Amino acid sequence: MKPHNLGIIGVGQTTYVTRRDDVTLPELAREAAATALEDAGIEFKDIDGVVFSLALDALEGIEGGEKWCAEALGGYGKPFLRVHTGGAAGGSAVHTGFFHIASGHFNCVLVVGSEKMGETPDAQSVLNQIFDPIYERELAINAVNMCSFQAVRHMKKYGTSEYHMALVAVRSRKNALNNPYAHIKKEVTVDDVLNSKMICYPLKLYDCCPRSTGSCAVVLASESFIKKIRKKKVAWIKGVASCTNSYYMGDRMNGSCINDYADSEALFLAAKKAYNMAGINNPNREIDVAEIYAPFTSTELAAVEALGFCEKGESGICNEKGIFEMDGEIPVNPSGGVLTANPISATALARVAEAALQVIEKAGERQVRKVGTAVATGEGGSLQFYTVTVLSNKI
Amino acid sequence: MKVAIIGVGQTSYGEHKKKSIDELVFESTQKALYDSGLQRDEIESVVTTGSDGLDGRAISNMITAGSSGAYLKDEVKVSDGGIYGLVMGYLRVASGLFDNSLIVSWTKSTESSPELVSNMAYDPFFLRDCGFNSVTSLAIEASAYVNIAKVKENDAADVVLKNRRNATRNHLSHLSGSPSKRAIISSNFVSYPIRKGHLPPKSDGACALVMASEKKAKSLDKYPAWILGLGWSRGEYEAGGGDSNKLFSLGKSSKMAYKMAKIKNPVDEIDVAEVSDITAYHEMMIYEALGFCGYGEGKELINDGVTKFGGKLPVNPSGGILSSNPIFASSLVRVAEAALQVMGHAGKRQVNNAEVALAHGFTAMSTQGSCVVILGN
Amino acid sequence: MEGDQIFVTQHWDIKYNHAAGETGSTFFKAIMDKKVILGKKCPKCKRILLPPRSFCERCFVETSEWVNVGKEGKIEAFTIVYEKFEGLPNPPYAIAYVLLDGASTAIANFVKGIDLKDINQALNHIKVGAKARVAFKRKREGRITDFWYEII
Repeated sequence: MKPHNLGIIGVGQTTYVTRRDDVTLPELAREAAATALEDAGIEFKDIDGVVFSLALDALEGIEGGEKWCAEALGGYGKPFLRVHTGGAAGGSAVHTGFFHIASGHFNCVLVVGSEKMGETPDAQSVLNQIFDPIYERELAINAVNMCSFQAVRHMKKYGTSEYHMALVAVRSRKNALNNPYAHIKKEVTVDDVLNSKMICYPLKLYDCCPRSTGSCAVVLASESFIKKIRKKKVAWIKGVASCTNSYYMGDRMNGSCINDYADSEALFLAAKKAYNMAGINNPNREIDVAEIYAPFTSTELAAVEALGFCEKGESGICNEKGIFEMDGEIPVNPSGGVLTANPISATALARVAEAALQVIEKAGERQVRKVGTAVATGEGGSLQFYTVTVLSNKI
Repeated sequence: MKVAIIGVGQTSYGEHKKKSIDELVFESTQKALYDSGLQRDEIESVVTTGSDGLDGRAISNMITAGSSGAYLKDEVKVSDGGIYGLVMGYLRVASGLFDNSLIVSWTKSTESSPELVSNMAYDPFFLRDCGFNSVTSLAIEASAYVNIAKVKENDAADVVLKNRRNATRNHLSHLSGSPSKRAIISSNFVSYPIRKGHLPPKSDGACALVMASEKKAKSLDKYPAWILGLGWSRGEYEAGGGDSNKLFSLGKSSKMAYKMAKIKNPVDEIDVAEVSDITAYHEMMIYEALGFCGYGEGKELINDGVTKFGGKLPVNPSGGILSSNPIFASSLVRVAEAALQVMGHAGKRQVNNAEVALAHGFTAMSTQGSCVVILGN
Repeated sequence: MEGDQIFVTQHWDIKYNHAAGETGSTFFKAIMDKKVILGKKCPKCKRILLPPRSFCERCFVETSEWVNVGKEGKIEAFTIVYEKFEGLPNPPYAIAYVLLDGASTAIANFVKGIDLKDINQALNHIKVGAKARVAFKRKREGRITDFWYEII
């Protein structure tokens, strides 16, 4: 059986900032939801169900904040589900919405992510709590050094350098100037990045994402619903896949193992499946723009390789050649990406939202020319959970 | 697209000091795979459900993904009660994208303080500081119920006795055997009107199911439990609204599930039910919200023996949550037990001629979210 | 209160008793009593797993055989932390994944005995591929911090 066709018909984002003291978590969630519904040209009463993307409870200081948010999102009396795969939650939420409609049981589903991590004094002390209390938590591992481990392996394996990573930061921050929703809007030079404060070797301050507050929402609808409301601009969802890797990072660190921690193998596998579903044979040629979940510069290097935009180990050189610039062969993160805004629960959802805006050519200043197909990714856990979503302007 | 449950795996419920959380999960997953006849390699999709707060891990499926069979698989965690894992699995298989899905849920209730964790679920401004938690919020619903529906201590005690008696037929159960009615009625109030004797134990345990598409299920040499109906819905965050003892979300969910399963008269058409008896009072409220009887008549189903083992519509032949409560997994256990009934694999607790079964679970605080599943053979 | 805005401060303080399980307990007892590192071998793929696990997530079978792995190995990944994170140790400190001789997976711990103040000096010693050995705490209590790594 073929899944029912569906697409994104509305997108809403708040501006991403450090803190929002004027609203509570549900109020923040509702902002993006209301914008997305308005963008779709429908109302809360028109939706059949809600999927809520909420990552780490402890970042909000509320155990299961979805309970508090359900009514604010029009969930009263309706099917409502919360998904949580850490940073990948937004991607998982879109996929969950996809399955709602693809199964034929739903016509219109609202997918929302909301993040107020600005209320915890240090996100990294919370992120330490994702690691195993028996074997790894006491070693002070957090999301920064978790990515440092990948960076040093990538450097050793392929000769990638801190300079290559800096190029990613420079491009992201330049792109973010075109994005009214971006949190960090300050250009940097390669030297600025290289001379910024060392956080966890080899990652320096400007290699790292900010911690952001904000929400994002998308409205998914079936083909028949889209016909009924006569929506013209639709980002059709053509491919969805996710892949989970092993919890223990050390399981992926052995000279002879194929699933090497340097390489984001689970992203490679998810992409392969999503491309296959979307009928993409040559991602390099067929994908016009990518919104990649990469909270650190080094993460993006491994990701573009896993997505098949270049060979393994060549991401550094490709960055030197400008392949991922706005006017390059495959523009990566025209929004500025996660390096310029990371509201964790909403981040992977924002990647899909930004990719959808590209596909329907509503990305404003950050619009890439001639977008037919876009890919968006999510990443969560110990570089463990990956989601890949392929969008197209053709059904 | 029809979807079926083709395998069930459960650990025993109780205190599991010798097993870490992923070891418990592994046990249930391995049992479900064995029961389904599938190998891990054949699994296409995995759905996990657990509570980070109860597990003490900020993304708890990081550790349990491997033990749920998800290594390099398409996996997702639903952070709503275990039965929502079944919802997710259903949608995934029904979309036609996956031929099968493993559903796994767990909780080690003895490793933390569920009441304290649930207090953190309340908003930091209005409810948390007022002592709301998983017991007090249920007590507020129960007190409205006791007062308006004129439910007696005796009725609540009879619910507990029924379920604990049923549990003697379930070798996996945490508690079993009948306490004396006097012991229940004289047990301390935890939060009025709920006494200690009206509450479930704190259990460790894990439960796993294997779901499959119609094509896959029919290709196997066995009788699966078909999903005939499914409904899930949300109500209010704050307990204590005027009608909170009418379990709004459950009424909505059951209507959705009955419509899909084409059930008009639940008492006549359903042969057995496994519901989330999170307190003795709630089992009676659940009967009413499910349309087994009118408002305030739940006690009569108990008094008349309609829902006892051997009655017209046996409820919780497994012993229910009052006998075993691995919190997040408890609602998936309801589905597992209902599936075993329609498959004819429920052993000593098998209800005769169980062709249609209902499973029910709650999620979120008090009874804010509900899910109803109708299974048939 | 800041201006017209009300802020409500809340803390989470929940105690958890995480069971290490029989497998984890055997691993920690071997460190406490005998100063040895034990891995567990998968009977199917033959990987020797560290941290030890009672099952193999890839082959989905129980592991049974304990294997005494070496106390020396090679750094597979590392970081040196220079930023203070709330609730975490004062910087600088180094963490490394070391593939101990005979093991199939790397296990993390702190690296001690190297002056980390000058990063370039430290990077001369701590690098991917560098040899490291296990050092044990005198008073061991059944936690992962009962040992650490030193560069050979």
